[in-house]
Amino acid sequence: MHTVHTHDFAILVKLWVVFCTMSCVFLAGDAHFTWTITIMSFFYIVVQCKWKDLLGFVLFYSLTSLLLILIRRYGFRMLIFSEFHVLVFWLMTSIFIVSWDLITSPPGSVSAFLSRIRAPAGVILGVLVIFRFFPTMKAEFRGLLESMHNRGLMSVRQILLHPVAIIEYILMPMLMRCLQMADQLSVSAISRGIEAPGVRSSYYATGMRLRDYACIATYIAFVSAFLIIGGFR
Amino acid sequence: MENRSKWSVKDVVTTVLLSLMLIVVQFVINMFGMVNNFVSMVLSVGITCLICAPIYFLLVRRVRKRFVSLVYMTLLGLVFLVMGNWYLLPYFMVVGVICEIILWKNGSYDNAKRITVAWTVYSALYIGVNVIPLWVFWDTFENFAASSGMNPEYVQSYISYYSNTGWLIFIFIFTTACGLIGSLIASKMMSRHFEKAGML
Repeated sequence: MHTVHTHDFAILVKLWVVFCTMSCVFLAGDAHFTWTITIMSFFYIVVQCKWKDLLGFVLFYSLTSLLLILIRRYGFRMLIFSEFHVLVFWLMTSIFIVSWDLITSPPGSVSAFLSRIRAPAGVILGVLVIFRFFPTMKAEFRGLLESMHNRGLMSVRQILLHPVAIIEYILMPMLMRCLQMADQLSVSAISRGIEAPGVRSSYYATGMRLRDYACIATYIAFVSAFLIIGGFR
Repeated sequence: MENRSKWSVKDVVTTVLLSLMLIVVQFVINMFGMVNNFVSMVLSVGITCLICAPIYFLLVRRVRKRFVSLVYMTLLGLVFLVMGNWYLLPYFMVVGVICEIILWKNGSYDNAKRITVAWTVYSALYIGVNVIPLWVFWDTFENFAASSGMNPEYVQSYISYYSNTGWLIFIFIFTTACGLIGSLIASKMMSRHFEKAGML
């Protein structure tokens, strides 16, 4: 269920922000300078009044920053995540923030935007499925783990002694659920007229407002300054 | 003749969902494979191909349309493109075309042997994810490694495994064998779980 934020930027703006953020992260001459775009992404979330998302991402960024300091200065090592992973997560936090903001947009406004630019129905459908995949699978996976935990299949002993069985116990229900979801989503899409010709509209699509243009202009200025001052890779 | 018909809404949704599932599983395995350099660079590619085989089998057998492998591999290439490895997009599209050629004949989607060949070929070529940066685009990769602050020890291990012919042959054989074994397991899983449940 989506909460409709009146402070939400238009989809075009969100796409532009994702593009600008990726450009900064991947083209930056000095990768460590990307903390500036992360701060910019926090402001982007603040302007949209998404306080819960802001809190989560601030915690995530603080944790990766702390780990990076511990690794670099005190030689801290972890069992699973390497220094490289922590660095990549730290560098890409801004991309995670703006991408999450995009993929949690109301599906109606996304499909209305794609329909306006005359994207084929298959593409609209594919994009909507991609956008809904992560939130839905997260909920499904959590349910599956709870179910396995209740059956005593998540004990360390069980995992160490029967790793192949554990993989099967996770993989098979997830795949079954994927197929059921595919059926449900396709029925839902057809009943909502995905195959119907013509431009789709949405209750949520508000069109471009002054704040949207201001956001685009701000990001153009920021990316230009970022790449001119920081240099290209 | 079914594989010549037009893609339906259900086909698009199933393809995207299972392709994303494949991509997520691959990335999760790679992440856990980072326990040490040996697991990460030598074993993780093979383990990925072993565990992902059932998902690919389900994708191909459920959708039963031409270009399903190409769509999945293009999506995978796009993910690598977003992560800065642009050269893997055309590479995976070529791999997708090879898999499509293997599965082109009518009835291939019910033929476990053909799907096994397609996945085994994909597995053999999947090591390109690690090899291509070294062989063809070393400068691009080296710049990325240096600018992102990658541990020099990691880069050195990378070079030692992927520029040594013996290790390369081992990785190639191991990955291909894992893909083949994964396909055989997947084939049995399809009949044991999904056919019984009436989902194929």
